[in-house]
Amino acid sequence: MLKGRENDDEKNIEELLSDYIDALNNEREHEIEVAENSPELERLIETVYQVRTLREPGLPDEDYPKRLAWVVADELQKGKDKDFGKQAKARSKSIIKTILPVTAAACLLVFLLVYTLGAFKQDLVYAMEKAVAKLNSYHGLLEIRTRNAAGEEWLSHRVELWYAGDKYAIKQDDGSLTVNNGQKKWQINHEDRTVILLPLLPDPTKSTFDLRDEARQAKQYPYTVTETEMIAGRETVKLVISPPGGEEYYLWVDRETNLPIQLQTAMQKALQTTYTFISFEPNIEIPYEIFAYQVSEGYTEVEEGSGQLVATIEEAVAISGFTPLLPKQTPYRILAFQDRIVLDYGETTIVESIAAGEFKLEPNAYLGSAAGGPLEIWYERLRWRQNGLEIQIEGEKRLELAGEITEDLSIPDANQDLASHAIINVPVDMEIVEANQKQVDSGSSPWQLDPLQVALTFVNLEVTPEGIQGEPQIDMPAFELVSNNSVEAIVYVKEGPIERVYLKRLIRQDESGIWTVVGYDPR
Amino acid sequence: MLNINVYKRAIKGDRDAIEKICLDTWEPLYRFIYYKVQNREEAEDITQETYIRSLEYLKKRTFSPDNFLAFMKTVSLNLIRDRWRQKKRSWLLVNFQELNPKYTAQADKENEITQRLFLENALSKLSRDQRSIIDLRIIKGYSVAETAKLLRKTEGAVRTAQYRALKSLTKILDEGSKNNA
Repeated sequence: MLKGRENDDEKNIEELLSDYIDALNNEREHEIEVAENSPELERLIETVYQVRTLREPGLPDEDYPKRLAWVVADELQKGKDKDFGKQAKARSKSIIKTILPVTAAACLLVFLLVYTLGAFKQDLVYAMEKAVAKLNSYHGLLEIRTRNAAGEEWLSHRVELWYAGDKYAIKQDDGSLTVNNGQKKWQINHEDRTVILLPLLPDPTKSTFDLRDEARQAKQYPYTVTETEMIAGRETVKLVISPPGGEEYYLWVDRETNLPIQLQTAMQKALQTTYTFISFEPNIEIPYEIFAYQVSEGYTEVEEGSGQLVATIEEAVAISGFTPLLPKQTPYRILAFQDRIVLDYGETTIVESIAAGEFKLEPNAYLGSAAGGPLEIWYERLRWRQNGLEIQIEGEKRLELAGEITEDLSIPDANQDLASHAIINVPVDMEIVEANQKQVDSGSSPWQLDPLQVALTFVNLEVTPEGIQGEPQIDMPAFELVSNNSVEAIVYVKEGPIERVYLKRLIRQDESGIWTVVGYDPR
Repeated sequence: MLNINVYKRAIKGDRDAIEKICLDTWEPLYRFIYYKVQNREEAEDITQETYIRSLEYLKKRTFSPDNFLAFMKTVSLNLIRDRWRQKKRSWLLVNFQELNPKYTAQADKENEITQRLFLENALSKLSRDQRSIIDLRIIKGYSVAETAKLLRKTEGAVRTAQYRALKSLTKILDEGSKNNA
């Protein structure tokens, strides 16, 4: 009995040690807690640290020394003016670490800059980074204007935004107000005098304005700083962002506050959109009433399946009627619905429901495997089926949490060479591919973002070279995505003269990149 | 080595002087800190804080520029120690508290070489399989799955072998320390 327990303890140490090594390798050891009563594990970790001194250190990027000098000079200057001790806390924020507070259009602009520091002139970079790090709350009025190719411009709409920590409120032109105070989410509509209770999690409104996905794509794009301009009565610096193979767009940063205040898209389909903060008050105290839930007199509360915050998994099981699969980590909050359970891990959310019908993948998702079946990787979301449940995890900690639910999680390797296995290579004209990418960027022919659609078009044009008339001869059910590592993909064709189609993202290797056929295997 | 006037100007907040000092000294300081914390972000943070603390400190005191780097290393060790206390990485504090930071900082190069030899010697006493697993997992940083593939073992076997290898290595290191004491 005792021996069995010792074996269990040993097993546990093996796993904890392995997890710690993984965390160290991924520089995320701060997320791992080691039980204080495990001297053996502590000693082994100490040895791991010692062994790691044989590794070459991970050096910072080449701009680091200059950035360092700038921050040091700035802090010393501050120290002259203010009490040194009071500054210590703010200073401890890393120059590479940024607080990305909440969302909304403000954060789009913030994200764009935070992720693209390298291309700025140094002083602007540091100032911007500092301003971002200090942005804990704000109130702003965002104006969205559209301009056509003839130069005519009009106001599309305006929204008023309040953000503080995990709370936000968004007021639309028509006066309707959507609020999430971290405990409840609701929408007040003045026209029909209703207060609609909405599900707290997941929260799609959060991402309505921030366009973080665009920001993430933009982080690898080159930038240049151009002239200064007056925007909304403020002196700004204009930044030109150039996505490879795409159209340039622009960002303006306030010289005084160092916060971004305007974003302008490229002209697409003869229309260009400009988002401008015509007023922006960073780091202010937001009045308590803004985030307080109340149903005014004459208004009706409408319940739209907002779910129920529960304290335990057992309560959630009683409401939803199924037992979810749980990661090791305890969620901050649990939200139960009749048909699903939502586990909240801060920036990451897990949604579990009973699996129903066929598991259909997003056409452009990357493919991995989990629990012996397909794993859909779609932007920041993972989705798979396990034990009769469908599990969806979205957010920063998705891989870590998914790994705690299923052991055999496999993520596609973007360096894996798939296309070279094609028996017949298809020559590619890069000029045409570039033109196609631009066309898709402007909103046309979005089917080129879907490897299945691209494969279908290619195969049918091979079958009927004169063009596809009406329904394609070999229709979509015959096409199956068998691999997609985000850069290359293989589509299996169940019938016809071609058995496999090999595709590549030749211009951009992210979700906005089009797929091009580079080879195939005849049947 | 930089002229003392550069330091004097830096203390007064002269940006050019601060940049010169940073460019001249950041890498050995950063490497020193990285070896202790094994995390890039944390190393960058502590390096930054070390410069600020050191220059602030020197505003009030006289010093000799030829040991500025050693002085900063001492400052950085104190910062690391404070952080680890906050983070309750108590088991990693033991070594620090046993050490005299000032001595460590000044003699670090010599110490580093001795430590390396000591470690390499201990590793050489492990079996070939144990060395491979430590090399792949800790020095090269492969995941369990990748290591399992490379060594043709199951992931469970990799975890067990890694645990045993580290246990043996710890024992060898402990014995070596006792003999050197």
